[in-house]
Amino acid sequence: MTSRREFITHVSGAAAGAGLVLAQGEPAAAQQPPAAAAPGKSKLDEVRARGKVIVGVTSEAPPFGFVDEKGELVGFDIDVAKLIAKGIFGDDSKIELFKQGFAARWPNTQNGSIDFGIMVTTIYADRALQVAFTRPYIDSGIVVVVKKDSPVKTIADLNKAEYTVAHLTAPVQEERGKRLYPNAKFLTFDAISAQFNAVKLGRATAAQLDAPVALYYLKDNPDVRMLDEWLTDVTGNSIFLRPDDFKWWLFLDTVVAEMLGGSLFSPYKALYRKWFGKEPARARA
Amino acid sequence: MDYLAQTFHLLRALFPKLVEGFGITVGVGLSAMALALLGSLLLLAPRMAKSRLIRVPVESYIELMRNTPLLLQIYLIYFGLPLLGFFPSEFLCGVVGIALQHTAFLVEILRGGIESISRRQWEAASAIGMRRLATFRYVILPQTLLRVMGPLGNQLIILVKDTSLVSAIGVMELTMVGKMAIERSAVSIEIFMAVAMFYLALTTLLGAVLRLIEQRTAARL
Repeated sequence: MTSRREFITHVSGAAAGAGLVLAQGEPAAAQQPPAAAAPGKSKLDEVRARGKVIVGVTSEAPPFGFVDEKGELVGFDIDVAKLIAKGIFGDDSKIELFKQGFAARWPNTQNGSIDFGIMVTTIYADRALQVAFTRPYIDSGIVVVVKKDSPVKTIADLNKAEYTVAHLTAPVQEERGKRLYPNAKFLTFDAISAQFNAVKLGRATAAQLDAPVALYYLKDNPDVRMLDEWLTDVTGNSIFLRPDDFKWWLFLDTVVAEMLGGSLFSPYKALYRKWFGKEPARARA
Repeated sequence: MDYLAQTFHLLRALFPKLVEGFGITVGVGLSAMALALLGSLLLLAPRMAKSRLIRVPVESYIELMRNTPLLLQIYLIYFGLPLLGFFPSEFLCGVVGIALQHTAFLVEILRGGIESISRRQWEAASAIGMRRLATFRYVILPQTLLRVMGPLGNQLIILVKDTSLVSAIGVMELTMVGKMAIERSAVSIEIFMAVAMFYLALTTLLGAVLRLIEQRTAARL
């Protein structure tokens, strides 16, 4: 099967070849076959040679990634990324945080702008066809937030034409909406903060948010509340990277596994407590 | 080739949605264009008025609109009006936001066009006994139109491309449809290219129409 990468290599190789032929008037047979994408060249080698790791993050989803009062980019995802940098270089400052929008995370992963991404990203099968995921580094779920004085008590209550629900561009939110409250109107934003503001300012009745994000926003916004009923069972937030790089994936997945219950559990536990105020469940006894 | 076949399949499946988004883009673009042209015609005379009392408010409006980002203005309209108790639709907020900003640019283009015609033509017209309004209608305006067609066309093309910003407030226009499809499939470059083709078709068509008008105007002089 021809992958996109191979296709582009072939086309550019052929174009370069054609250029050579025109320039030198050599017979086509003298062309060299286009160089295949160098096998064995992993991001892991590239990162170590570069001396820093470039990580795609969000600045719009507290407490995972956001800009604090001092203007610094902080959050749980950012700290986990730093823990990984420490694992590679023994120094958590050898990292470049690459802020990106949610829609931009896939192209940036595929074209190599980032080495990996960690930004409140839920694993779904259709996503896993396009990028590789490590095992989840934190459990999550989707909740619904509404204004405190809203008459909406359950998810079923939302199923009325007079209600509007704010979704993120992630199509799974829309699918969930079509399944659970098909009569409501949908509004779609490409930033979580816009979704939340839509509820706060009365543009939407409700919004679907990742549970930890919702909890964090609710701390500072007493006029908004969360429905008791959740939209999904537990889902996994995971680190994503290019799918054709086994060596790099194996490294990252190993580091995550160690965080969840091995040699890196202590620093991971400290981060978890710092951002969520409680201890994570240890994956291994 | 597998890659080509896959991409073709994906884009073909996506095509109806893109066309739908394209329709909304055209709707936003045309409405904003009509509003902006109307607005600029209304503000042109006050902008060129001799009285400071009339001129300064319009000048301030133009400076404010020209010198702040359109995305910000759209956000302000969309999220700001609910604080005052108004809830206009996403579509309307987007159209009005784009029109408000482009009105400012269009007024300046029109004013520049009129002022570029030599004062001596006004004097000459008055010397042969033409009234001011007649001078404007028969001498100044035709020349102005010809001069502003180029910059006016540029501005309208920019307006069409600016419609992509209304995706930020949830209008399901072309760019938004593309973003959603990328979220779903994580296939990025191919979809962005397809979206770009739609814009290219629209702006090329608009450019052609404007050139045609320009030629017709020139031919009549």
